[in-house]
Amino acid sequence: MSFVEFKNVKKIYRTGEIEIQALSNVNFAIEKGEFCVIVGASGAGKTTILNILGGMDTLTSGSVLLDGREISHFNKKQLTAFRRYDVGFVFQFYNLVQNLTALENVELAAQICREPLDAETVLRQVGLGDRMMNFPAQLSGGEQQRVAIARALAKNPKLLLCDEPTGALDYNTGKAVLKLLQDTCRSSGMTVVVITHNSALAAMADRIITVKSGTVENMRINNNIVNVEDIEW
Amino acid sequence: MKTTAFREIKGTFGRFAAILSIIMLGVGFFSGTNLTTPAMLETIGGFLNEHQFYDYRLVSTVGWDDEDIMAIASEDEVRYVEGANSADVLFTDSKDFDSDDTYEFVIKLHSMPGMINGLEVLNGRLPKNPGECVADKSSGLKVGDKIYVSPDNEDGTKDMLKFTELRVVGLVYSSLYIHWERGSTSLGNGSVRGFAYVMSEDFDRDFYSDIYVRFDQDLDLYSDEYKDFMEERKDLWKLLADEQAEVRYERLLADGRKKIDDGKKELEQAREDGQKKLDDAKKQLDDAKEQLDDAKEQLDDAKKEINDNSGKLKDAKKELDDGEKQLDNAKKELDNAKSRITAGEATLDASKTQLDNAQTQLDVGKEQLDAAGTRLDSSKQQLDDAAKQLADGEQKLNEGEQKIADAEKQIADGEKQIKDGEAEIEKNEKLIADSEKKLDDAEQQYVAKVYESLNRVLWMLNDEQKKKLLDRASTKPEEVVSTIMDYLTAEQQLQLRQGKQQIDDGKKEIEESKKKLADGKKEVEENKKLIAEKKEELNAAKAEYQKGLDQYNEGLAQYQKAIEEYSAGLSKYSDGVTQYNNGKQEYDAGVKQYNEGKALYEEKKQQFDEGKQQYEDGKKALEDGKKQYREGKQQYEEGLKKYEDGLKEYEDGKKELEEKLADAEKEIADAEKKLADIDEPEGYLLDRSTNVGYACFENDSAIVQQVASVFPVFFVLVAALVCMTTMSRMVEEQRTQIGMFKALGYSEKSIMGKFMFYSGAAATIGCIIGYIAGTLTFPAIIWMTYKLMYLPLDIDYVFNPWLALLSLAASLICSVGMTWISCRHELEETAAQLMRPKAPKAGKRVLLERIPFIWKHMKFLHKVSVRNIFRYKRRLFMMIVGISGCTALLLTGFGINDSVKGFGDVQFDEILIADADMRYKPENGKLPSDLKEKFEKHTEGYALARAMSWNLIYGEDDREKEMDVYAPENYETMTDFFLFNTKEGKALPAPKKGEAIVSYSLQERYGVNVGDRIVLRDDKLREMRLTVTGVFNNYLYNYIFISPETLESKFGEKVEYNFAFLNFNEGENEEEASADITSCPSVQYFNLFSVVRTRMRDTMSSLNYVVLLIIICAAGLAFVVIYNLTNINITERLREIATIKVLGFFRRETSAYVLRENIALTAMGIVVGLGLGILLHSFVMAHIRVDMVTFKARILPMSYVYSIVLTFVFNFIVNIFMEIKLDRINMAESLKSVD
Repeated sequence: MSFVEFKNVKKIYRTGEIEIQALSNVNFAIEKGEFCVIVGASGAGKTTILNILGGMDTLTSGSVLLDGREISHFNKKQLTAFRRYDVGFVFQFYNLVQNLTALENVELAAQICREPLDAETVLRQVGLGDRMMNFPAQLSGGEQQRVAIARALAKNPKLLLCDEPTGALDYNTGKAVLKLLQDTCRSSGMTVVVITHNSALAAMADRIITVKSGTVENMRINNNIVNVEDIEW
Repeated sequence: MKTTAFREIKGTFGRFAAILSIIMLGVGFFSGTNLTTPAMLETIGGFLNEHQFYDYRLVSTVGWDDEDIMAIASEDEVRYVEGANSADVLFTDSKDFDSDDTYEFVIKLHSMPGMINGLEVLNGRLPKNPGECVADKSSGLKVGDKIYVSPDNEDGTKDMLKFTELRVVGLVYSSLYIHWERGSTSLGNGSVRGFAYVMSEDFDRDFYSDIYVRFDQDLDLYSDEYKDFMEERKDLWKLLADEQAEVRYERLLADGRKKIDDGKKELEQAREDGQKKLDDAKKQLDDAKEQLDDAKEQLDDAKKEINDNSGKLKDAKKELDDGEKQLDNAKKELDNAKSRITAGEATLDASKTQLDNAQTQLDVGKEQLDAAGTRLDSSKQQLDDAAKQLADGEQKLNEGEQKIADAEKQIADGEKQIKDGEAEIEKNEKLIADSEKKLDDAEQQYVAKVYESLNRVLWMLNDEQKKKLLDRASTKPEEVVSTIMDYLTAEQQLQLRQGKQQIDDGKKEIEESKKKLADGKKEVEENKKLIAEKKEELNAAKAEYQKGLDQYNEGLAQYQKAIEEYSAGLSKYSDGVTQYNNGKQEYDAGVKQYNEGKALYEEKKQQFDEGKQQYEDGKKALEDGKKQYREGKQQYEEGLKKYEDGLKEYEDGKKELEEKLADAEKEIADAEKKLADIDEPEGYLLDRSTNVGYACFENDSAIVQQVASVFPVFFVLVAALVCMTTMSRMVEEQRTQIGMFKALGYSEKSIMGKFMFYSGAAATIGCIIGYIAGTLTFPAIIWMTYKLMYLPLDIDYVFNPWLALLSLAASLICSVGMTWISCRHELEETAAQLMRPKAPKAGKRVLLERIPFIWKHMKFLHKVSVRNIFRYKRRLFMMIVGISGCTALLLTGFGINDSVKGFGDVQFDEILIADADMRYKPENGKLPSDLKEKFEKHTEGYALARAMSWNLIYGEDDREKEMDVYAPENYETMTDFFLFNTKEGKALPAPKKGEAIVSYSLQERYGVNVGDRIVLRDDKLREMRLTVTGVFNNYLYNYIFISPETLESKFGEKVEYNFAFLNFNEGENEEEASADITSCPSVQYFNLFSVVRTRMRDTMSSLNYVVLLIIICAAGLAFVVIYNLTNINITERLREIATIKVLGFFRRETSAYVLRENIALTAMGIVVGLGLGILLHSFVMAHIRVDMVTFKARILPMSYVYSIVLTFVFNFIVNIFMEIKLDRINMAESLKSVD
């Protein structure tokens, strides 16, 4: 059994009388320890998949299995617990708590987990050993994103979900962040799912899932993995 | 732009509502508190002005009359002047005065007013006829009730009233009684049930007790204008009252003198008249004497005549006696005759009885005879029947005999037939035996033939067959035959067949014979049976015959016996008839004898009656003669008595005349003395403040205004803060939009206009709703309590346009002004800057972090909260202001309650522990003896003092304030009734000569301190300078206590005590005791402290509603502030909250993360609020000025607890709402982009 499995997942948003089908019949699977990239144009449903996978949103029908547990049947509290113990998030806009220092932001996440990693160690790992006491406003975008990654990693999750992690970053910084993610995946064996509209990034993934108009257009195993440094876009 | 503004309001209604409601709350509270007192004054003032409440009431010791009224009416500015009478009267509810069920009560009776102090009729109508009245609405009397003047009233009261009962024709409110209290009285148990108004003609008085004056003014109640107006006229009118009293006195004296002169004249006249009458009487007496003499002469004549007649009467009596003797003789003869007649009568009666008996016996005998005859007839009939029956029986017997003979013959025939049958049977049997024998032979032949045939065929058969056939040939020849038949020749076969035929025929023959025999036997049996039956029948018939024979013989014997009896009866009957005929003959003879005897008796009786009548007539003539003689004698005696009566009457008349003259002379002397006794007159001028209702209402209505005037400041401050934070948040949220508008070329003005319109609209709507709600609800709620104490009129709402404008202006400054301030700052930035999102506010370390000891020991999440609290400074500030305001309001509200509720209890439980105080008029400088007796009866102790009124001179411009000054007879005794303790609880020593101790109110209000010298001045402008040696705790009234020596040395006169504090006996009914004491004429006033205490408590209970309003407003304030701020806090930090939710904070952790700050801020606000509340409370208490009352400003510990708990409860309720809101935050949505 795969680590992540989407089976006939459907998601319909209702606003008033209008129904919008965001996902229709999505099927895919990701193996444990894989670096997976979900690619697709804006509005294709990538983020919806990520939200469902991360327990931030519910699905209309179908089933989602993660590590053998069917999270599509979880209630609110179970979903919260699932987010708390099993998932790490990295967002496009970092979403750091402005009133907390870099270290405190990481600690905020770490202190609610079962087996957190040491906040300082993680920060050092992401290369922010000397900026730990700075508030987010005092950090550059790349540094903030690295704090966000550190915050996600410190929770020691089974699954790391990244939603356009480089969307707000410049080319080089973006590359550095992606490298960090790839390295993390390789070194810790953590399953990483990255969402991007940039299909060029697909080359670095073990598994590439292409999403189009709310359904999986293509899923393939990348046999020719390229290092981040070698990808140009 | 306007469209966006409206859409904005719709879209962010919560925010709009926040501004609206805080403005509404502020304006509502402001207008409500400011308009409550005016509305109350308007309500009561309107009533009093409408009914022309008096300005002055003039009272004099000599009363008033119409001339006084005319004189006062001629004064300037006087609108109305009216005389009025009033009296306290005991009434009962039933005519049955002695009944236990009859209830007695006191009514304050007034004469009907004209224009002044008008009445408002609620039910029924005003009195039109004497004997009708209108009554107090709150007295419990109803239209149509009748009340009766109690006989317990004093004579003076009874004389004053022209009626003995009153009919209630209407119920009214009176402007003289706007307060529920009806005053007290010296009558009954001292309490007054109510008032009533009667026609002034119903008062039998030639003077008025009061004159009421109304000036030509309609100024507002208690207004300064009115006070000034009255102050200007006070001196003039005081003088006027005195002068008019003097005038009235002079007139009264003149009238009195004239009356005495008239009286004297009348006396002279009376004396003359009396003398004349005496003379006339004497003359009449003389005439009478003459007449009497004449009468005596006549009497003597009559006596003589009587004596003459007496002789005649004697003769007549003798004649009568002779007659009587003759009559006696005649009677004797008659008696003899009568006894003879009686004997005859007896004989006659006896014989009559005998005759009657005989007749009865005869009747009975006849009846018996008749019955015997009837019986004999029926017996004969029976005998005939019996003879007939006997004949029938005989015939039946003969028939039976014949039947028996027939039957015997039949039997004999039958038996013979049987014998024949038996013979035939024997014959047949013999025949059968023969036939059988023949048959046996035939069979033997047949068998032999079979053997023969068999032998012929044996050779054709095998051995086995042979043997079988041979065995069977004897037993079953048929079988053998059938087997061998085929082997035989035709002849053989024929022989065999013939043999067989023979046997069969023989057999058949025997069968038939046997059958015949059986039939014969059967027939014989049947015949035998028949014979047996016949024999039986014959025996039965024989028995029956025997029985019939017996019956017949018996019947015959009976018949013969009956015939004998019948013959005996017949002879008896014949004897009876003979006897009866003899009796009848005898009876007829008796009747004849009786009738003869009776006729003889009748004759004799008539003779006797005639003799008796003669005797009666003689006797009656004798009685008449006697009666005539007696009447003559009586007439003579009556004549004698009449003469004596005449003599006595004459003596009485003479005596009476003399007495009457003496009385008249004494009356004149009394009148002269009374006139000389009339006191120097005194006129009193009383203004409105002497009316209990008017005076109380001034204080009561002012309380609300004084209490509430402080609070609106808070609301204005909070409203401004709420508007500012809300609007600046709004501007911040719409930053990009503002930039866009700016980029599109909209002017700053029009952009700002939108926000101003937004907040302005909210403020205006809030202001209008708040103003209306405040104007209507506050006065209505507070009036509800006042209604219980005053007339329950409907409240008149006051709309004050200036106040409305002021409120609107304040709301607009708070809203639009604050919007302008927050907008201006933003708009200064360029469009480009605005379009870019505002850089998030940088995180900052707080001061606390510099104290590692504390910081390190704090939980991580608590650290976050601490940093957040101090990060948003404006929120921190606003929250503290709002929450502290709420707590302070609550604390003040509860504190007011504590202070106000407490003072009465403290005053009468801990300071003034006497039960009552009173003032009396000393008798020869001492306590009047009757009063002393009552004291000893009802009280366990009393302390005397000299009570005076002195004016305290205070302040820089030497203002005067009237003070009650007491010089206690014995300071030590006084301390049993009044505890002179300092605020610290130390007892004060007695004031010595030239010293004074004063109540706390003097220190508080007039700045009198220990060691000061105070100046007191009385109305004769005498002055006293005293050193204050102590200030004692006291909450009600102003008191100054001095030593009597001070008075003595200052004025050189002996101090006359005129005042007392009392403590009743344990278990004494205070009201009854006070009524008893008040009944002493020397008592000037009497004050029961329990009544004062109740009145105080009632007044102060109106504050409860004020406190309730304060609590409601505090709650409103807390809700608006906390809700608004938390709301802003959440929207501002939406991303942060979404982030922590994504991180996996549970619901409770998330709300704790946010609301922990709220709780911390609330706690901080409460701490500040408690401090503020204490200040506010003391400020408010200092401003509540109820005349004569000093409140004991205090806040009980429980009030602190309530305030804190309530604030937290408000916070908690808001937090629940917020938790729901937090739960609804959509993470995915909130994190999507930068807003």
